[in-house]
Amino acid sequence: MSVSEAEVDLSADEQRGLELIKETGGIHQSDFWKELDISSRKGSRIAEKLVDAELINREQTVYNGHNTYYLEPTAKDLEFRLLMAGDLLSPFIGEEEVDPQSDSFSQWLMNLAYEE
Amino acid sequence: MAFEELLNDPVIQKYLHELVGPEGMPVAAAPPEGEVTDEELAEELDLELNDVRRALFILYENDLASYRRVRDEDSGWLTYLWTFHYDNIPENLEEEMERLLTAIEEREEYERTHEFYLCEVCSIRFEFGEAMDQGFQCPECASPLESMDNDALVEAMEERGAALREELNVDIHADAD
Repeated sequence: MSVSEAEVDLSADEQRGLELIKETGGIHQSDFWKELDISSRKGSRIAEKLVDAELINREQTVYNGHNTYYLEPTAKDLEFRLLMAGDLLSPFIGEEEVDPQSDSFSQWLMNLAYEE
Repeated sequence: MAFEELLNDPVIQKYLHELVGPEGMPVAAAPPEGEVTDEELAEELDLELNDVRRALFILYENDLASYRRVRDEDSGWLTYLWTFHYDNIPENLEEEMERLLTAIEEREEYERTHEFYLCEVCSIRFEFGEAMDQGFQCPECASPLESMDNDALVEAMEERGAALREELNVDIHADAD
């Protein structure tokens, strides 16, 4: 189960790290510690702590030719309102297939264009 | 009640409503802490057992609830103990945002590359080819078909597409992979 932010005791540097990841929407670990002006080891420890607290996601990746991690905010910080057009929710919710020509999607788009 | 923070979000309320429908909403809107049986929920919420089970099964299909079966030693009956997993809601909605973005991008391409004609009486839209085949007359009411400008639609799709890409970090991911 996820832990709410308030329940996790974060140090000042960890808090700064979390804010940086949220602000950028995602950053490579190799840029993360440089941006925070801390050592790579400390950067790695901070990232681990934030992953353990389920405040961010971390994925292994290759960046500028070396192995690193990509750190990004978890889905719970996303702007879910982008699924709405006026008071209509995305018509693909609960549907197996995404049909960009469906009537319900046309209606959603009309709402988006003329009601927002 | 658990997951109150999530349930305060009106988009999440709509999402649950869309999944379980109005009859299932009392079940979906008040997830208890820990395990609960379908009978307990039906009694507590004063609902038909079938409506409760239907809602639970939909939540299960969407990774928002799970169950374990326990056999009562005396009666031999199976009891289903349900747990709600609403911590999966944000990831489900992230996936929905990705699906919506795909649809917007495909539809935007279609809107940009086609010309449209409209019957203003019936509010039916025709592609150029269809309109020509009909002699630019509405097949329903015979009114003349007028050339239709879809700029506002395209512009709305462009804006929402950009907002979704930004929120989902779509371009950054493409670089990182």
